[in-house]
Amino acid sequence: MLKMNLQFFSHHKGGGSTSNGRNSAGRRLGSKRADGQTVTAGQILYRQRGTKIHPGENVGIGGDDTLFAKANGVVRFERLGKKDKKVSVYPAEAAAK
Amino acid sequence: MIKAVFKQDSAQVIRYFRLTGHADSGPYGSDIVCAAVSAVTIGALNSIEALADFDPKVTLDEENGGHIEFWLSDHLTQTQFDKAQLLLASLRLSLQDIAQTYAKYLTVTIDESVTPF
Repeated sequence: MLKMNLQFFSHHKGGGSTSNGRNSAGRRLGSKRADGQTVTAGQILYRQRGTKIHPGENVGIGGDDTLFAKANGVVRFERLGKKDKKVSVYPAEAAAK
Repeated sequence: MIKAVFKQDSAQVIRYFRLTGHADSGPYGSDIVCAAVSAVTIGALNSIEALADFDPKVTLDEENGGHIEFWLSDHLTQTQFDKAQLLLASLRLSLQDIAQTYAKYLTVTIDESVTPF
């Protein structure tokens, strides 16, 4: 006798459910100010996880590695050693040099 | 869509049938057309074995489903033959009824090119 399989003519011999299928919203990381842009103290310059970009002159780092200006001035992205980068804020007169 | 083909001769004797395809009328486990077709088809084959008292010649794809073929055995007694024909005719009628209501998911074709013997 044949087994009475009521899903014999159904597609997708599906198994149980998967534990995947979830995704979190994008964290909008990355640069928030461009090189040469004028900023005021407290403005966020760069959002990141870990220190892709290191804090330079007049730049602080928050608990979540966010970089922010500690003084008014102009943003400068610079090299740090051979392979790293840093971001600094130079007061307007210093930045002009 | 499920495609059912019945081969019978001009005397309406059913010699062969084949069902292929998937209904896709709902997700796995809730596909009502698939369940109906599976029930009447497997039910008919099991009835032939139990009531007409002979093992029907059947091939089916247990792994993937969606494929059953039946050939009427030779050398049947008149009683076995009559009972089998009644059960096969009942299957054909059931499938035609389902196809009438769920034409999008099932078609039934009657092929009378079989020569009676």
